[in-house]
Parts: sequence; structure tokens; C-alpha cells
Amino acid sequence: MFAVYLPVFIMLGVATLVAVGMFTATSLAGPKNMTAEKAIPYESGSETTGANHIRMSIKFYLTAILFVVFDIEAVFLYPWAAMFRSLGWVGFVEMLLFIVILGVTLIYAWKKGALEWES
Amino acid sequence: MMELLPVASLLMLVSAGLAIMLLDVFTKGRAELPFVTTIALLAAAAISAAALFAPAPTDVPAFITDYLSVDKYGLFFDVVIALGAALASLLAGGYLREHGLERGEYYVLILFSALGAMVMARAVDLLTLFVGLETLSLGVYSLVGYRRTSARATEAAVKYFLLGSFASAIFLFGAALIYGATGHTGFRSIGEVIAAGHAPVMLVLLGLAMLVAGLGFKVSAVPFHMWTPDAYEGAPTSTTAFMSVVVKSAAFAVFLRLLAVGFGDELSRGAGGWPALLTILAAVTMVYGNLAAVAQSSVKRMLAYSSIAHAGYLLLGLAAVGTKPAEATSAVLYYLAAYTVSNALVLGALIWSGSHGKEATSYADLAGLGRRHPAVGAAFLVGVLSLMGFPPTAGFFGKWYVFSAAVQADMVGMTILAVLSSAVGAFYYLKVLVYLYMKSPEEGAPVAVPMKSSYVVFALVLAAYFVMKMGLTPARYLDAALAAASGLIG
Repeated sequence: MFAVYLPVFIMLGVATLVAVGMFTATSLAGPKNMTAEKAIPYESGSETTGANHIRMSIKFYLTAILFVVFDIEAVFLYPWAAMFRSLGWVGFVEMLLFIVILGVTLIYAWKKGALEWES
Repeated sequence: MMELLPVASLLMLVSAGLAIMLLDVFTKGRAELPFVTTIALLAAAAISAAALFAPAPTDVPAFITDYLSVDKYGLFFDVVIALGAALASLLAGGYLREHGLERGEYYVLILFSALGAMVMARAVDLLTLFVGLETLSLGVYSLVGYRRTSARATEAAVKYFLLGSFASAIFLFGAALIYGATGHTGFRSIGEVIAAGHAPVMLVLLGLAMLVAGLGFKVSAVPFHMWTPDAYEGAPTSTTAFMSVVVKSAAFAVFLRLLAVGFGDELSRGAGGWPALLTILAAVTMVYGNLAAVAQSSVKRMLAYSSIAHAGYLLLGLAAVGTKPAEATSAVLYYLAAYTVSNALVLGALIWSGSHGKEATSYADLAGLGRRHPAVGAAFLVGVLSLMGFPPTAGFFGKWYVFSAAVQADMVGMTILAVLSSAVGAFYYLKVLVYLYMKSPEEGAPVAVPMKSSYVVFALVLAAYFVMKMGLTPARYLDAALAAASGLIG
């Protein structure tokens, strides 16, 4: 049981050694001359102006929710389409119900103003 | 179409939820949503109540029965859950408007959460159960954090959400272990494989312990109760009512079905199985709940701890199911129905006591309220006496049936502990009545003014009716509970 995984553990050990070794070696061998210029947050960029925590409207959330609505719909539609003939009318009505439910959520989101990007 | 009749109550809630979403956006919030929601929920309760007294449906297609049972046990919980949700939405109709929180999605969330609760109570498969559990939980997380601008409500919601997801994960892990051990997700098949001795014992017991931990969180059993006081206190009071009655009923419904059907074999319910585990949980839950409730100064927080204590009595009943299935199951069902109406009544009275954005939450807020407003006092009186277990109210018979089932199951020591700890409970319940009738507000303290809301009054009348009716004619309700229990045990 254990013998099967032995190469994996050896690999794991070597990988850890290499990673730890490299960090230790560079921090020991590398030259360190810290200057005032080097200590600033963006060494070769421009100075930040204003507060870094600005308020902005996050539409990611709405986009993500709406994406889920359509993405899940697509996930179910593909296998249904592949099996369309054998599922027959029962399958058609079931899928219709599913789409109607998702449609209601879309109408709800629309009327609630979730698709108004400007405000 | 006729084959969908046994799940009509579930379909009712889905279509009502979707209809209310559209109604809300197209009328721009002018529709009387609490009214529509309550009608839909009461209709679902009526459908299931009618089916409860009708002969069981025959030849239900397997695509339903493989996942959702259509037995009387499920129907009984349909009625309890729909009634509890209806009371919560009526209370919300008064509470949200009075405190400027009225938005349509509250009722949609109530309907979909109640749907999840009903699916849980009917689930006969671990996966269906999990889908129901998450439908319920996600709705309730948002209901708890409904007052978005309040830091307290947000804290409550985040706490509940994080711990709740963790509990769901533990539950799912347990379900995976059980599936690994037995190769089935259906409760009945799991039970058959375990009874036949084909499943590794350690794996089954470990999985069972994880399932119990996950569900123990939902019923707020000690030591999985940490979220309860904060969530109950930070949530809008109508949500507190919903959580304490609907979430609790659904969790106990599935707890009982899972243990009785999936783990009804000799090994699981023997000396080292779940009855012993549940007995320990019951003992610490009721003692801790009652002692912690004594120390509270907020009535809402006291009710949170009292709900923990009641979970303890119910767990005692659950532990007795191992030896006395019929008596203990029907006692637990009766207790849940009684607790639903009693707790909704007390929280409703608490909602009634506040108005214009000022809520009554502490004992001091209630000082002298019973003398100034006798109707509010009466609502508190009936509800609190029932929670305390005072005859002739629903709560008395609930405790009576559960404790006598425990005695019949040879758990005399535990029953004595339960009676003693409920005597401690009398202390903090009576404290409410002392403040209502014997104290006066202190100089300069705000004086509670009850709100004027016909929704709240209707909810209280409905709840008080059932509290008294179940107390005066308990036999009828116990018969219904027995019929429901026979659906489970066979």
C-alpha cells in the first residue's frame, strides 16, 4: 500500500527541499543595500494619489447572478437537446417549465433595475 | 397531471412564490403581499390537511416516491410548516411596515424557504434532503440579514451563514460516508444494507455521527448552538418566528425520518448507536438552554435560549424513538406542532408591543404593558404559559407526551432531568409575566406602545386559537400525529 506512493513522497520531499533551499540560498547569498527609493511601495511606478479604498459600484455581483441563470439553463439544455426525441412531450413540457421559471427570474431582475448599468 | 396531486402543496408554494415575484415588480410594491402569501400558505396547509384525513394515494409514480415520500408523515409536516410560515408572514406584514422595512422579496423568500422545509420533511433520499436543506437555509440566511443597514443584523447573518455552511459541509461529508459504506442514498436502501450487515460498521457510525452533527446545528442542539442567540436577536422578529418554528420543524422532521428509516436497524439504534448519542445531546441541550436563558435581559435572547431548551426536550423524544417508535414519534410530532403555535404567539406578542421603529426587546420594555394593554398581555400570557408547559395549553400536552414516551422507553433518569430543567424554565417565563403585570416603567424610560396592525392581530388570534384548541382537545391532534407516525414506522 505504502510502497505504491513512495515515489510521490520522494517527489514531494525533493520539491519541498528545492523550494526551501532556493529561498534560503537567495536570502543568504543575495546582496542587500536598501535605499530610500527602494523602500517605497511602487519602486518604478508613480506615486499614489488619494485614498486607496475608493467606493465603486460592483456590478460583478449582478453579472454573476445573471450569468448563473443562463449558464445553468445552457447546462441543462444541451443534454436535453441531445435526448429530445426519446424524451418526447413529457421532456418538452418539463423543459418549458424550467425555462419559464428562469424567465420569471429574468423579468424580476429586469423590472428591479438590475440591467440598468448607468445609475 | 393527476399523478402530481400528492405533491400539490409543494407546487402551490413554487407557483405562489413566482407569482409574488411578478406581482411585486409589476405593482411596484403596492400589492398586499403579506395577504397573498398567507392565503397561498394557508391553502397549501388546507390541501395537506385534507389529504391527511383522506385515504393514502395509490400508484404514485416512482419518479416522485423515489425522492419525496407522499406518506402522512410528510403531510403532517406540510401542515405544521405551512401554518408556521403563514404566521410568520402575517407577523412580517405588521412588523416590516411598522419599522419601514417592507420589501416584496421578504415574502418570496418565506415561500421558497417554506418549500425547502417541506421538501426536507418529505425527502427519502440524502440528495433530495440536501437540496431541500439548502433551499431552506439560503432563504433563511437572507431573511436574517434582511435589515441590511444594521450592523447587528449583518453580523447575525454572516455568523449564521458561515456556521451554517460549515454544518452543511459536515452533513454532506456524513452523507458521502454513508453512501460509501452502503452504496445507496435512499433512506430505505441504506437501512436494508445496514440491517443485512453488508456495511462497514465504523464507517456507518462515523457517517451517522456527522449527519447528527449537521442536523444538530439546524435544530440548535448544544454544542452546535453558538449561532442561535445572535441570529435570533439580530434578525427581524418575524424572521425569528420563522426560524424558530419552520426551520426547527423541518430539521426535526428529517432527523426523525432519517433515523427511523435509514438507521432503524438493531446496530444503529442499539446501545452504542444514535439513542445514546441523542440522550447525551438532549441532556446538555436542555440543561444549558434553560440555565443560559435565566441570565438574559433581552426577551428575544431569552426566547433563543428557550428554543435551545425545547430542542433538548425534542431530542429526548427522538432518543426514545429507538425503543418506543410509535409513542415517541407521535409525541415529537405533537410537540413540534404545539411549539410552532406557542412560539409564534409569544414572538407575535413581542412584535405587537413595538411601534414606529421602536421595538420592545428587553424585559424592562414590557414593564406594565399587560395592565395598560390587556389584549397584548393576554397574548403573552397564553403563549408563555404554553411554552412553560402549563395546563390546559398545547405546551403542557406536548411535554406530557414526550416525557411519558421517554419514561416508557426506560429513560426515567433523563425524564427527571427534563422535568427539573423545565422547572428552571418556569422562572424565566414567569419573569415575563411579572414584568407585564407587576412592574411599572421606570422614570424616563421609553413606554412601549403596541402597533396597530390587523395582520399581527389575526396571526395572534390564529396562534392563540390553536394553542388553546390543542390544549383543550389534545386527543384529536394526537390522533393526527399517530396517523402521521404510522406512515413513517408502518
